[in-house]
Amino acid sequence: MKYFKYLFLPIMVLVIGITASCERDDICPESTSTTPSLIIDAFDIDNQEDVKNVFDLVVAGIGNNSVLPGYAITRTANLILPLKTTEDTTQYVLINEATINDNGTPDDTTDDFYDGNQDIITISYTREEVFVSRACGYKTIFKDVEVVVETDSDNWIQLIQPVNNPQSVEDETATHFNLFH
Amino acid sequence: MKQQHILTYFISSAFLLLFCVSVNAQNDSIPNTVNDSVKIKQKYGLRVGADIGKLIRTAVDDEYSGFEIIGDYRLKKKLYLAGEIGVEEKNNATDYLDITTKGSYFKGGIDYNAYQNWLDMDNMIYFGFRVGASSFSHTLNSFTVYNTNQYWGGQLSSDTPQEFNGLTAIWAELILGLKAELFTNLYMGLNVQLKVLASETEPGNFQNIYIPGFNKTYDSSRIGVGYSYTISYRIPLYKKDK
Repeated sequence: MKYFKYLFLPIMVLVIGITASCERDDICPESTSTTPSLIIDAFDIDNQEDVKNVFDLVVAGIGNNSVLPGYAITRTANLILPLKTTEDTTQYVLINEATINDNGTPDDTTDDFYDGNQDIITISYTREEVFVSRACGYKTIFKDVEVVVETDSDNWIQLIQPVNNPQSVEDETATHFNLFH
Repeated sequence: MKQQHILTYFISSAFLLLFCVSVNAQNDSIPNTVNDSVKIKQKYGLRVGADIGKLIRTAVDDEYSGFEIIGDYRLKKKLYLAGEIGVEEKNNATDYLDITTKGSYFKGGIDYNAYQNWLDMDNMIYFGFRVGASSFSHTLNSFTVYNTNQYWGGQLSSDTPQEFNGLTAIWAELILGLKAELFTNLYMGLNVQLKVLASETEPGNFQNIYIPGFNKTYDSSRIGVGYSYTISYRIPLYKKDK
């Protein structure tokens, strides 16, 4: 029965193997609901039940040098706007019927800008950090969300209304605001 | 040729069978004599030791420190009263969370030796059952908000430590292990543990991702796993016939 002592080694190797292989499962699955974006649907101001596309739409965050990905001259009735988790307001400029102005230099794209009807919206909210899971950590949810259109001489956005009052943005399952134009 | 082999085989088998029968018959005719001239005594006592696996891990792993004292007391030939008491501190850091868990635990139960020892040897292959309880706290050192949309770049992060205190957990545990007497009264052992969480205090807006004694928790189940390498010394108290 001196073999008894030799049983140690294989079992030891087995145990170390099991613990090493099972250690990391810390990847946040894509299906998990984390920090939500604000969802706005566009409707016709004259026929408020009808969805109406915004043509040649450009969306860019104020204070951000790049256009929101997916919104560089597009036709859509559905806006998905990420909100800043570091501040209580996020501002976007929405350009209707945008065209690229090459600034007189067709070969140089670095000084291009968008022409069109610009409307600025200010989204204000209060933030709350909610624990999701060990892999995803915390998400931010937004409460008492308000969207205000900055008045100018020629607003293409007639009205933005929350779906609920007060409106919170906790997930991306439903529209949060309706835009009429 | 081949047939002849088979025939030989058959005949020899038949002979063997014949012997078997005759031996059995002989056994019956011999009167039962007791020839246990050597009486084997077995030691009973208290065995105390430490989990050296945890000590090694403390030295090697920067994110872990822990210590566990183990003990068992032999009640019957195969039955031991057993328990563990320990402290652990574990740091878990991901891109989004940095948590330090600290606490102590106690486990108590029985070990049953399923190994038939030869002569006066005293080794164990055992099954154990424990009930464990832990008292612990988490410190959330820092976190960064998880956001799949990185248009605005850096997300909110906090470096202000948050405390989650006064947490407890209770679990049941099954153990499979070995203990071998390397030198007189000195034992080395190893075991694997399967744990099922019975209850835990849920911290508000947080989760018990690690419980001292129970080890890592899993989101999908209440199961936990663990292992120990132990070294222990038996203080012999009395002897009893095998």
